[in-house]
Parts: sequence; C-alpha cells; structure tokens
Amino acid sequence: MSTRVLRGARRRRLRRPLAAGPQKRMNKVMVDRMMWRTGFGPSNADRKKWIGRSVQDFVDELLTTPQGGLRGAAPYKQERDDDPRTPLDPTEDDTDLVLEWCDKMIRLKNPFAERMAFFWHNHFATQRSEVSPPQLMQQQIDLFRKYSDLVANPAAKFRDLLYEVGEGPAMLRFLNGEQSTKDEPNENYGREICELFAIGILDRLGRTTYGENDIKEISRAFTGWEIEDDDPDNVKAIFNEDRWDDTKKSIFGKKAAFRHRDGVDAVLAHWSHPYFIVTKLWNEFITLPPDKATVTDLIRTYKKGGTQIRPVIRKILTDPAMFANVEPDMIKPPIVYSVGAMRALGRGITSSQLSNALDEQGQEPYFPPTVAGWEGGLSWLNTNTALARFDFANALVNDDAYEIKDPGSSESHTAAFTNAWNAVGRPWLAPKTRSALLFFSKNAPADNEDDRIARQRVLRTFMVGGPDGQVM
Amino acid sequence: MDRKDLHTDHDAEHVVDPGFAEAVICADCARSDSAALDVEPVDHMPIPIEAINGFEDGVPRVKRHDRRSFITNGALGMAAVYGASKIDWTEAFEAAKAEAAEPGSVLVCLYLNGGFDGMQNFVPIANPDFGHYSTARPNVGRALGASAANQVGTTVMPGTGGQFGFANVGVSGVGNNEQTVGFDTIWGNGSGAGADMALWPAVNFFQNSSRSHFDSRDYWFRGTTDDETETGWLGRWLDLYGSKANPLQAISLSSNLSKQIRTKRAPVSAVRNLNGVEFSVSNSGETDATEVMGSVSSVKAAKKNEQLNHAREAYNRTVRVARSLKTLENAPAGAGYPQSSLSTRLQLAATLIGAGLGTRIVTIDWGSFDNHANILNSMDPQLTTLSHALAAFRADLVARGVETKVITLIFTEFGRRVEQNDNGTDHGTAGPMMLMGSRVNGGLAGDWPGIAPGQRARRGDDLRAANDPRQIYAQVISEWLGGDANAVLPGRPAATARPIIG
Repeated sequence: MSTRVLRGARRRRLRRPLAAGPQKRMNKVMVDRMMWRTGFGPSNADRKKWIGRSVQDFVDELLTTPQGGLRGAAPYKQERDDDPRTPLDPTEDDTDLVLEWCDKMIRLKNPFAERMAFFWHNHFATQRSEVSPPQLMQQQIDLFRKYSDLVANPAAKFRDLLYEVGEGPAMLRFLNGEQSTKDEPNENYGREICELFAIGILDRLGRTTYGENDIKEISRAFTGWEIEDDDPDNVKAIFNEDRWDDTKKSIFGKKAAFRHRDGVDAVLAHWSHPYFIVTKLWNEFITLPPDKATVTDLIRTYKKGGTQIRPVIRKILTDPAMFANVEPDMIKPPIVYSVGAMRALGRGITSSQLSNALDEQGQEPYFPPTVAGWEGGLSWLNTNTALARFDFANALVNDDAYEIKDPGSSESHTAAFTNAWNAVGRPWLAPKTRSALLFFSKNAPADNEDDRIARQRVLRTFMVGGPDGQVM
Repeated sequence: MDRKDLHTDHDAEHVVDPGFAEAVICADCARSDSAALDVEPVDHMPIPIEAINGFEDGVPRVKRHDRRSFITNGALGMAAVYGASKIDWTEAFEAAKAEAAEPGSVLVCLYLNGGFDGMQNFVPIANPDFGHYSTARPNVGRALGASAANQVGTTVMPGTGGQFGFANVGVSGVGNNEQTVGFDTIWGNGSGAGADMALWPAVNFFQNSSRSHFDSRDYWFRGTTDDETETGWLGRWLDLYGSKANPLQAISLSSNLSKQIRTKRAPVSAVRNLNGVEFSVSNSGETDATEVMGSVSSVKAAKKNEQLNHAREAYNRTVRVARSLKTLENAPAGAGYPQSSLSTRLQLAATLIGAGLGTRIVTIDWGSFDNHANILNSMDPQLTTLSHALAAFRADLVARGVETKVITLIFTEFGRRVEQNDNGTDHGTAGPMMLMGSRVNGGLAGDWPGIAPGQRARRGDDLRAANDPRQIYAQVISEWLGGDANAVLPGRPAATARPIIG
C-alpha cells in the first residue's frame, strides 16, 4: 500500500505543471524550451545565465540584442581527406547556397533573426528549382532577414514585407508576376496571396473568405511588373505602366484603379487577415492552439500596431501556453534539429553532409516541396526520416576528426552516462529514457578501451539522435 | 549474391578458362538480366508499411494511402513506375483496392539467366538417348542412380515413363544438405493434379532462334523474334487487359524494369528491395542499436503530448519494420528458404502478392548459368538453391493462403549444346521451361525431340526445339491470365492440345 502512495506522489511531482506566466522564474526545462523555440538550442552558458530569471526578461533581451558576429571558422567543403578545402560558392552550386545559410545559423551567437527569416521562407515558400539566377533567392532571404531583425528594425510591419515580397524578383519569377499583363493577367500570385500568404481559405469561424472573382480582381491590380536581370548580381523588378491594367478593380468591397500596393492594402483590410497571420506566428512557437481570448488579444495587438510584427511575437513568446506540457511537445523541424545538433557538438561546415542530411530528413532550405512550404508537425517523422535523423547524429558524434577519449577503466556505468551527456550539451531526456540508457550502459561491455569508447559512441548518438532529441 | 557479384565471378571465369575462347562469343555478357535499360521511371511510388504483414481484411486501406499518410508513416520501399505518365497515388491505390477485392490470377516469371543447361537437371536417362548423352558429355554428364557420390547421380522422374531423371543435387534428401524439399517434391507423381510442376524439356522459337544471349533474351521477353517490337509480351497483355492506374499490377523485382512487362501505356513498376532499415552506431562493436532503440522508443509520454508520442512512435515503428525485414532477409528457419538472393526475391514476391496490392505479374531474374566451363561446380549449387527456393516459395504462398492464385513460369534464353566442351557446355538452342503451382496440370507437358546426332538442330550440335515459347505463353494468357492470345502474340505457332491448368 505504501508503495502505491509513493508512486502516486512521485507521478504527481513529475507532472507538476511548469511555472506559468511571464514573471515566473525559469528552470532548466523552460530555458531550454525558450532557446530552442527562438533559436537552435541552449549552451551551458545560456542556461547559467537564464535559470532563475523570468520569461519576460528573456524575451526583452531576445528582442533587443543584436545578432552579433559570426563565431568560429569559415565554412568549406572537403569531401575526401586528400581533396583541397574549397570555400563555398553559393551562386555556382546550390549545395553551397544551402550550406551558406546553414552556416549563419550555426555560427551566429544570437540566431533568432535567422530563425525568423526561415519562418518567412517557409511562409512565402519560393523554390530555387523554379527561380534563377540563385541571386534572386539570396535577395529574397535578405529581405526576410530585414523583417526578422527586430533589433535593427523594431517597427517592422507585415504590410511592408508583403509589399516588398510581391515586388521582389524572386516572387515575380516564381509565381509568374513578370508575365502578368493587362491583356493577360496571371492569377498565380493573386491566388496564393489569398490562400497562403495573407488571408487563408477559412476564417476563425470556418467561413469561406474569398472567391474566384476576388482573385481575378487582385491579379489585375498586380499587373505590370517586369524583371531586369541582365546582371545576375543586380537584378531589379521594374513597374511598367504600359503593361498595367489601369481600369477599376473591386477588391473586398473597395473600388479603385488599384496598383500593387493599393491591392495589398485591400487584401490586408480583409477581416480574416489578422487572424490568419497571428495564428500562423503562434503555431511557429507554440503547439497548444491559442484559446479564443488569446486570439482576440493577439488580433487587437496586431491591428493596434498597424501590422507590426514585434508586439505580436512578444505576446506569443510570453504566453503561458508555451509551457502547457511539462515535457517538450513540439517536433523540431529538420533545420532546427540539425543546426542545433551541430551547435551543441561544436561542429562547423566542412563538407556537403548537412545539405544531404536535410534533404533526407525532408527539409532542404531553398527547396520547399510546394508553394505552401513544409507541412511540418507530425509529418516530420516517419520511418525514413527517423532513420535519417539518427544517421545524422551518428555521423556527427562519430566523426573521425573528433576523437573520443578513453574515459578509463574506473568509469562506472553512471559516470559513462554523465560523461556522454555533458559531451553532447546536456539535452533533455525523459526519466525513463535515462533509465533505458543507463540500463544499456550497465550491460554494455567496458573491459577495454574499445568497449568503453563504443559505449560512449552509443550513448552520445542516442542522446542526440534518439526520439527525445527530436522534440523541443 | 547480387548482380554485380555474379558478374565479377562470371567475367573472371571467362578470363581464366582458355577453352572458352574458341567457344561461343559472349559479346553481350555485360547484359546479364532482362532489364530494359533504355527506359527511365516516370515516378516513384511508396509501398505502404502495412504491406509487410499484409493488410487488414486483405485489402489496402486506401484512405490512409494518400501522399500525406506516406509522409507521416513512411514507406516500406519505393516502386519505380514506368509506362504511364505521372501517377496519382490515391487513384493507384483505389485501383489496387478494387483489384484486391476480387484477386485475379497471378503469374510469377523466373528467368534463369545465362542459358540454363536443361540436360544437366532433367537428364535423358532412357536409352538410346542416355547412350548419346554419355558419349557427348563424358566429363560433365550425370550418371544413373545415386552414384558417384550423388554429385552426378540422377533420380527417376515419376510420370515420364523412366525417360528423365532429376540431377540429384536438385532433389530432396540426397546430396542435398539433408533437406526434404527439392524438384522431386514439387514434381510429385508427375501426373496432372498429382504434380505441382509441368515440364517442357526442349523449348525455343521454331524459326529465327539465336545463340546470342542478347538477341535470344529479347525474343523471349518480347514474345517475338521481330526486332521492331518494343513491348514485352506481358506488357502487351497489360496494355490490353491490365489496370490503367495501378503500377503495382506488374512488378520487376530489380532496380530496372524487365522487358517482359514493358508496356506502351499501362503503368508497371520495379522494386529493388524493401528498405534496409536498421539503426546503427559506427564503431560500436557488438552493440545492436536497433535493440537499444526498441527500449528507448517504447517510453510513453503524456497523452496530450501528441508530438512527443508521435516522435517516439516513429522510431518504434522503424524498429518494428527493421525487425520484420530482418525476418524477411534471414528467411525464418521453418520457411525453408535457402540463403540466397533468389530467396529474398521470392519472399518479396510472396509478401507483395499476399499484401493484396492488385499484383498480377512479378518478374525475377536470377542465376548465372552461362557455364562454358566448370559446369558441375558452378551449376550444381545453383540447382540446389533453385529447387529449395522454389519449394519454399510454394510453401510460403500456401501459408499466406494465396498459392492457388499463383503460377510460376521458369525459363531461360536458350539451352546448351548437346556435346560438352571440356568441362562446360556452350550456347545451344532448346532449353527447358517449367510451370509451378498446385493449379498447374503437372507432368511432362512438352515433346522430347531426342538427342541422337540425326535428331539435333544446327548441323548436329543442338537440342532441337520441340515447343515454341509462344505456345506456352498463349496458354498462360487464355487459361490463366485471361484474354485473347492472338492479340498479344500475333503470328504465333498453333497451340498444343494439352491444357496447362487443371
């Protein structure tokens, strides 16, 4: 009987909710979560700094601290030991294009802006395979960076972002804006701005938000754009008045001879736009859906700020729903998992390995599967991608360039566990996962050097690449 | 042994054997299988995880087999799709479901690669042929009975009037690793319903047959000696009578599509293998990482934590798939499959047929029977494997409850010369054809032309063709797959009277 009572008490203690509210002090689990959701995971120094301090403080600093410079060695590719080290050439080789961006994520001290730029890349998913020259893609990601660096650009507005995306050569090329003229308006971008970029098919009450005629009218307003791409390093979008449809259009009840920006304004005036964009942002950071009051509050904040992004993000990041689950409750996207693992192990880019690994895991930057971006969520993990994630951890942990030293014959199985855990940056492991790994550690042979190193390899690979390493 | 390994061995053999030079020229040796290498897949389609153990109710649960569910669940393997243009997965699985609901007859085609020497397995043991045989093959010929350490002995084939004997290396119990399965157990009493195998001992095209591997294979796969024909004989059947949406209706178990099922329009596919799934940690000694993952991924999370539960379940499912595939690879002892790439493919065929994916045709290429030299050493182990694997395949199909729906056609591009060249045999004309299945009208189905020098083809060199492959193909269509054989095999010779089914 006493055992049962103890077990119950223990279970309650384990499941005790995390301290909610922006003023509450954070423990390790909370610090780790904030660092993963807004970046690529914590370092021990980050934990030391933030444990015991409030979520509010953390978010304040996140939104006011510049990115800092790139740390560590510059990236290169060397596929075999006797090959020369070649610097990345992003406009010549798409692999390098991918690696160049990943390198920033790996080496920036405060990568929040890169994480946000990736969010916008997923939101305005543009495919390199459809857009040439590659400089156009770089230009577009730089645009996303501008609206993601909320320190340099604290009043960044979604409205301006949407203006610039629609007038950017990458999007004009990707969704056929450059072919859209008054005689033959192309509806591709007009359709996606409604469905994917600004309004969404259904509003918060499940009602249809727009019709085919709206797409036609919006598309006419967006006519007239061309791309001047003689010099790939200086590609420009140009508005050609002659190709623009100068007649009146009717967009969501407003009638005028709209041009692109007026058209965007009319789209943003749609009743469902604020709901669409604040929930999209919410879902990036928090798994639990927002309750009604929260949605209303976020919409109010968004409108009051005149489509400013920062106040909405501040509200989301300080919402107690972030900690609704004691255990991590969001699957890391491959980019977050992979870059995070490299940061935790102190690895840089020295080959094309990361780009291949991201492809196998189902998320190669610049190559979203469709204009809707990556599906994300549960779809990230299946038998193929689970294996790909584990293999990547194995490749990192057991990279020949990084020797694992013999911990010595006196090392106990618990010490072996701790040694491995420290070596991979002390990631979150559920108590039962610890037990399972300790069980392995206890039963693994440890009589000689090779055995002990093998034990380290297994423990470290599982801590990084096992199921618990996939959530944040 | 995979294809590459086979070839390395084969080439080495050519180089070391001086007797080969004056024999037949193997200019096309690089082409060791039935692959149509000039066609590219138009798409890839996942084979659902559930196929591994068969679907519930025997039919794919189509709703779950859209693109999204594959992204979530992952796939057991990928089928390279040929023939049709872009494939709609949902439509493909709808078609598979419709076909699986009323399973059609299935044909497995096993092509014995390189020119199988029929007289080394189905030995003419009655005089006067046996006398001619012994004279023609003093070094490599089989002996009568369980003689000569069983290596070259023969066992009388029931139902053939004592005319033929199995080489002992392919029968049960004798010289055969004490296995109790072999050609003789499949053959049974060699008569109609009492036999699960029919034999045509001397088959090739009546006109225009070729001693070139390349040309002859093409003729057999196309079902015509006309070089202008691009489709396979089964491809033409599929275009006429097959599904317009289901690429899994015809599967080559290979990296490439077999020319036999090359179509104009109907979608068909190639499946190399099911995923080699296992967790492994480099340089970690004896550790079975998949086992460790089994315990780590079984940890339960709070019910409302859907994503953590899903992450662990994805890993756990991978562990389960890895274990299932391991079972498949390492042939469970009770199933009796020998260790061989043939077994792996036959098991995969049984798995796919049993999964209810609407599969009607499976093609397998196997073996290395171009034994110009050293025929006893290189052919005999393959005969043992072949006989064991076929018997195990039959048992496997029975266990899956689908055996009565399946027949297996076994053939080669040509037979060998009657006379040996030192210790091997060179390219000849007629070779054996076999048809296995409990529905098959078993026993000796074809004529035997005899091997007295005057009875031979090609100036006394070769076993003459007593049957044309199109006669058997036509019966496979009219009696088994269904359809008009004339539409598939124009210009074929007249059919024989003996039914192949019944």
